[in-house]
This record gives sequence, C-alpha cells and structure tokens, in this order.
Amino acid sequence: MKASYLTHLYSRIGFGLNRKGYQSLKGISKSKIVDAIFESSKAPIPLKIDLSAYDSFVSMKSKNNAKNNQALRKLAQKNRQDIKQLNYAWLDRLRDTDQILREKMTLFWANVFVCKDNNALHIQQYNNILRTNALGDFGDFTKAIAKSAAMSKYLNNKQNRKDSPNENFARELMELFTLGVGNYTETDIKEAARSFTGWAFKKDGSFFLKERKHDNGIKTFFGESGNFNGEDIIDIILNQKQCARFICAKMYTYFVNPKIDEERLELLTNLFYKDYNIENLMRHIIASDWFYDEKNRGVKIKSPIELFIGIQNIVPVNFQKKKQLLYLQKIMGQTLLYPPNVAGWKQDRYWIDSNTLMIRMKLAALLLNNAIINIDIKGEFEDSFEVYYAQERKKNQFLKVASNWDNFDKTYGTLSQDVLKSLLIVSKIDKDTEQFLEGLSTKDNKEYMIQLMSLPEYQLC
Amino acid sequence: MKRRDFIKQSSLASSLFFVPSFVKAFETATKNVLGYKKLVIIQLSGGNDGLNTIVPYTNDIYYNNRPALAISKSNILKINDELGFHNTLAPLKNLYDKGYLSIINNVGYPNPNRSHFRSTDIWHTASDSNVYSNTGWLGRYIDNHGKMPYSGIEIDDSLSLILKGETVNGIATKNPAVLNRNMRTPYFENILKQQTDDHLSEHNLGYLYKTMIEAKSSAKYIFETSKTYNSTFTYPQNPFGKQLKTTAQFINSGINSQVYYVSMGGFDTHVNQSKRQDKLLNVYAESMDIFIKDLEKSDTFKDTLVLTFSEFGRRVKQNAANGTDHGAANNVFVIGKNLSKPGFYNEAPNLLDLDKNNDLKYTVDFRSIYATVLKNWLEVNDGQVLNKSFKTLDFI
Repeated sequence: MKASYLTHLYSRIGFGLNRKGYQSLKGISKSKIVDAIFESSKAPIPLKIDLSAYDSFVSMKSKNNAKNNQALRKLAQKNRQDIKQLNYAWLDRLRDTDQILREKMTLFWANVFVCKDNNALHIQQYNNILRTNALGDFGDFTKAIAKSAAMSKYLNNKQNRKDSPNENFARELMELFTLGVGNYTETDIKEAARSFTGWAFKKDGSFFLKERKHDNGIKTFFGESGNFNGEDIIDIILNQKQCARFICAKMYTYFVNPKIDEERLELLTNLFYKDYNIENLMRHIIASDWFYDEKNRGVKIKSPIELFIGIQNIVPVNFQKKKQLLYLQKIMGQTLLYPPNVAGWKQDRYWIDSNTLMIRMKLAALLLNNAIINIDIKGEFEDSFEVYYAQERKKNQFLKVASNWDNFDKTYGTLSQDVLKSLLIVSKIDKDTEQFLEGLSTKDNKEYMIQLMSLPEYQLC
Repeated sequence: MKRRDFIKQSSLASSLFFVPSFVKAFETATKNVLGYKKLVIIQLSGGNDGLNTIVPYTNDIYYNNRPALAISKSNILKINDELGFHNTLAPLKNLYDKGYLSIINNVGYPNPNRSHFRSTDIWHTASDSNVYSNTGWLGRYIDNHGKMPYSGIEIDDSLSLILKGETVNGIATKNPAVLNRNMRTPYFENILKQQTDDHLSEHNLGYLYKTMIEAKSSAKYIFETSKTYNSTFTYPQNPFGKQLKTTAQFINSGINSQVYYVSMGGFDTHVNQSKRQDKLLNVYAESMDIFIKDLEKSDTFKDTLVLTFSEFGRRVKQNAANGTDHGAANNVFVIGKNLSKPGFYNEAPNLLDLDKNNDLKYTVDFRSIYATVLKNWLEVNDGQVLNKSFKTLDFI
C-alpha cells in the first residue's frame, strides 16, 4: 500500500501512523493490512479500574439509616474521583492499545450512544458495552445499551412505568440513536415507551424486568401490533432501512468524509441493512478504493482527543499531575465520559473557535516544549462562588509531563525530514506554508516535528 | 470626528497592518453596518433563587414553605404591597428608583428542564426544550451582524454556546493582554506572517487558516483598543467585579462589538442557602452599581442594555438542608436608561398555581424577551436570529 494511503488509513482507524507502524506495514498489500487490523482487534479487552470498594455497596441492603447514609455519601465522593480515574485510564488505553480499530470505534460509539452517569461502576460497565460491541451486531449492541444501568438513569427509563410512562428514552432512541428526527411519529414514541416500561437494574448494574410495572397491553409501532417489549421495538426499528442509513451516515462522516456522498451512502446502507454487522461494514469501507480517494484524505478536523493522542502516538507523555489531563480536555472542549448532552459532541468545524484553535495549535509546544499556558477553566454549575473562580489564581501554567524523548531520538533522530512530514501531515499543505517549511534551516528533528505539529495542517486527519 | 470614532479607526488600521486583504475587506464592510447599541447578557449560573431575590413578603405560602429560609419582613426593601428586594440588593433598588430597572417575573419556557447543562443550553440557543441546537442566539446574531470574532465577546477564557454561530464564533477573553500574548507563539506566528489569501479555500484547511488569522487579529484589536480606556472607578474586589470592569472597558473604549456575555457562578444553593445567597446578591448588586456609573460617566449607558437571567429558578419549598432545589420559572432583570416600562413589567409569581414538580409556572417565554431586544434594541430581524417568531414585549 502507498505510504500516503497508509497514513490516511491509520489516521482514521487510529491516531496516525508512527515510524514503527510505517516500517512494519510498507510494501504489504491492502487486503493483508485490512485483515491484520481486524485480527488485532478481535478479542475485546475491557477497561477496568479498581472498583472493589463498591462490592459492599452492591451487597448492602437499601435501608435508610444513618450508618448507610454516611456510607453512601462517602461512596458518592469516591465515585467522583473514580470517574476521573476512569477518564485517565481511557486516555492511557487510547495511547497504548494494540487494538487500534476497536478503541477508535469505542470512541466513535461513545458519541452515538451518548451517556453520562455519576456511578463509576455503571459507567465503566457502559464503556465496556461500547468496547465489546464496537465491531459486532448493531441490534445486540442497541439492546445491551437499552438494558444498561447508566443509560436507564441517563434517559429516565428507570422512571418509565406502566401507570406513568416516561418517554425520554424512547424518544432519544429513535431521534439520536437509530432513526433521526422526522422518521417516526409521536404515537411511535408513546407506544415504544410503553414497551420499555418496567425495565430496571440491580445495584450491580445487571438488568431485570419489574413485571408489575411492565405494560403487557397491545402496542402499535410502525404499523405492527402486538404485546411488544423493548427488544421487539428495537427489532422493528432495525427493520426500517432508515436505521441503517442513519448509522451509515454517522460512520461516513466520522471515518470517511464530513461531507456525505449520497450515492456512496446509499450503497453502504444497502450493505449494512442486510445484516447490521458493524465489522462487515467497516471492512467494506477500508477495503474500498474510494476510501483512499484524494478528496477523502486530510479533510476532517481532528477531535481534541484525536489531536492529543495523535501527538502521543509519536512521543508518549506521562502527566505527573493527572488533573492537568482534565484541564486540557476541558479547554479543548472534549472531556471523555462528560459529554455536553445526549446529542453528544458536534464534530468537525464545531470543535473550532478562536479560543480552542489557539490552544490546539499550541498543544504540541505545551506537551513537548514546555510552552506556557495561561487559560483558566470555567467553574462548574455546582461550585460555590469561590470555587467557581478558583482557577483564577493560577497563572502561567506549565504542563508537568515526562516525555519519552529517548525513544524519539532512536526512532526519528536520523529520519529524513520529508518522511517525518509525510508521517505527520495527511492533508495537502498550504502553498505558502510549504515554502516556509522549505526555508526552515533546522536540522533538529525534534524541533522540526514540533513545528509540523503546530501547523494548521496538523489539525486535519 | 468624535474621539471614539477616531480611536476605533486608528486602532483598526494598526491591527490591519499584517492582515490579509480578505480580512480587511471583512472589517471595512462590517464597520458601517454595525449599530452602536450594546447588549450585555449576565447569567447567574447555578440557578438563582428568585423568590429570595424579589420577595413576595406578604404571601403566607412563601413563609410557610420556607420556615428557615424566608426573608423576614424587616429585611425587605419594599417596593409595593406584594414584593420587595432582598436587603442586600440596595444598589439595585437605587437603579429601580431611578427608573433604570425593569423586572420581568415568571420567565421560563414550555417543558422546563431542571439540569443546569441542558437548561443553560436552552437559554443559550433559544431552542425548544426538546431540540438540540449547535448555535447560540448571540452567535447567530454575529453571523448576520458583525461577522468577526470580536463582534461578540465573552468575559472568560473559553467560549460558551451562546456565542457560537453557524459561520462565525465570538471570542472569549477576560484579560485582553493575556489573550493577545496567548495568540503569539513563534511556531505559528511565522506561518501566519507568510500567508497571502488568494488560495485559501472554503474547505477545512482554508477555514482553519482563516480562523487563526481572524483570531489573532481580533485579539490584537481588542487589546489595542481596550487599553485606550482606563476606568477611574473602584470596582468591588472580586472576580465578578473584575468581569464587569473589563466589560465597561470594552464598551467605553469603543470596541466595535455589540454583544457581551458574562457568567457569574455560585448560585446552586442546595445547602445553607441564606448566607451564601446574601453574599452573592450583594456582590452582584454592588458590582452592577459601579458598572452602571462607569458607563454613565462615559455617556455609554444610554446605549447599553443589561439583561440578567438564571438557567432556572428554585423550588418554592425549601429542602431539608436549609437550601433549595432546582425549579423552573424565574425573574429576569433588564437594566437600561430609557426603559419604556420601568418597575415591574408583569404580575408577581402565583404560588397557588404550581406545576407538577411544585415549581413556578412561566407566563413569559424567555425568547419573547430575546425577540424584543433584537427587534427594539439592536433593531434587527428577530425571526432570522431566533429561527422562529415570538411575541415581542414592550419593556423597551
């Protein structure tokens, strides 16, 4: 496969191509590379942090007494810390994994089945549902999501009972997860909500049905009638070709091009509609010739996480103050596990405004060249006045990171600058900038690399 | 030529020196179109308890629901036989007495959401509560009027949804010198210096270059313009006072920006509300008092309208922790010199007719306030900015 195709492929299914990857893959045929990508992502490895403190909570009888309440308060505090730990662990996973495609797809699905929760155990389970099903059967995937404790809370399905249905989950299931606005009726929402009544979860996060809260009446959904339950509803949604089209459009804008080619989308839709097998769809996309067309290369604006992990794909860094990881994610506008709302992050150009672009353009210098940063993060809604503005006192921050330069010198030290450039920049390079780069006299590859990572072109993948 | 105009033009000219001609074209084109009216939006972030701000001090239901929290009658600055200010709001009462304040009660929207995030999004985007929009109403305003990042400024370090437009985004800064410094990094300064504009395309790469160039020239423009004005007033020594001081500096130095957004934090008073809210309201009122005086002295107050809102009000009934939980409808303050209906715009909250969560019902859709401001103050097509037509009110 051509070098430019390789870097394109890996910038989409992963976070770019480093030298090691480049050397092991150059000269190998596309079909072999594609096979190897799926082979290495075959067996999911769940992301797990130490949550043994929750065992006692899970077995605790839910009695309302002072001792229990105190334990619960303590646990709630621990939860907040653990969710941060999970955030750091996820970032580490993205940086270190060999299951490149599976992890990239997990990130993708996290912005389709958007969810947030303040229970670390449940959000960890949720995150692993995304990971386990990332390349699997879309129907099973959707059902697992619908049964998860985190989603049940996030979209109020746990309050959805026969005598007082809550339509929130049913609505977002169709509007944001499977069909898109305008492709169902208000009656469909009401009937779907009835079918999901009584869906509940235990403290350990496992699903069960509260029979007495479930509506066993006849529902009419997309023209079909029967005593449907939630799984039936998801099956009927899958029967709508619009569902395949909706997911393919999301896949296309994420993995191929933010501008959709309608004809291409229709072909993908036909393919996906046959079996809703995500791996088959993904394999088809990256095995296609058109995926490598020039118009699809280097045209997508990286998400903050893609940018951050991409830099680390070349030079891994370790944060000595883990909190600064949250700080960075916040000022760039994407904090993992904390999506803004159920619609998720808007992508591509929506990542960019004057303030975020400035910090994104500076990111490489911040991580790798001790540049100074002077940006305060906003406080939280729940903060007191003093805490809300607490960040004010910190001026001129450095990121306290340890970068692995030894490895860089060994791997990239003697590489030609042209090859370095072709590894890092997948988009076309602006005419004037190309001239500027040619005029650069630096012989130091470290300096040259930071310069490349500080180009607007590096914002694209 | 007026002094302000002169400063505006000369500082613009100097900031344009290194800027490609397409940006120059932008600026000369928009300079003449922009009006001179200013709008400052203030969010009391976290959900201010409106009932303990403008207090229904003769209402037994209020006192019965808040045994530990209700403001006693002796601590009220009475306005009429129903409502009075919390006594920490004396400076606001002064504005009221001068006819500079209009209070709109019971402002909200259908199907209220009680999440800070979601409800803030709804207020920022002016969308229905079940619609997720990517753009804020001030962002859409600068899409059509101003069209440069500095056309809308948030007094903070990161930009909120309210100032994100479809084609243009506002810019966030609480310290123009720092912003200007942050924008200057040798790695990309060198690149931008080399840029000519003839080949910048509409594609993402062109968009990134254009955004970067505009961001940099906006930062420089804001910095150089704002330093021509130095306030002689002493603002309260707290971050909100500082935010308002910066806002006044922008307005009084004649920055060509019409819309400003300031978020003041700390209002999520679930626990031991009284002391915390006393302090917050006092900080708000004292800072606002100086801010208005600062504007008056530069004769810019007549052209400035200040709108203060919260993403929601709080529950009528206090909770067990001597605080209040998230509620629904709330009051909005409009401060300006030539209000057509100063004082109370509408009826007091009805504590007998609550929604199913026992929260106040809205009688004024907040988007009617936006529509009124757009149409009667900024004098633009409100439907175009709000994507929908709302009944306008007659407070200005």
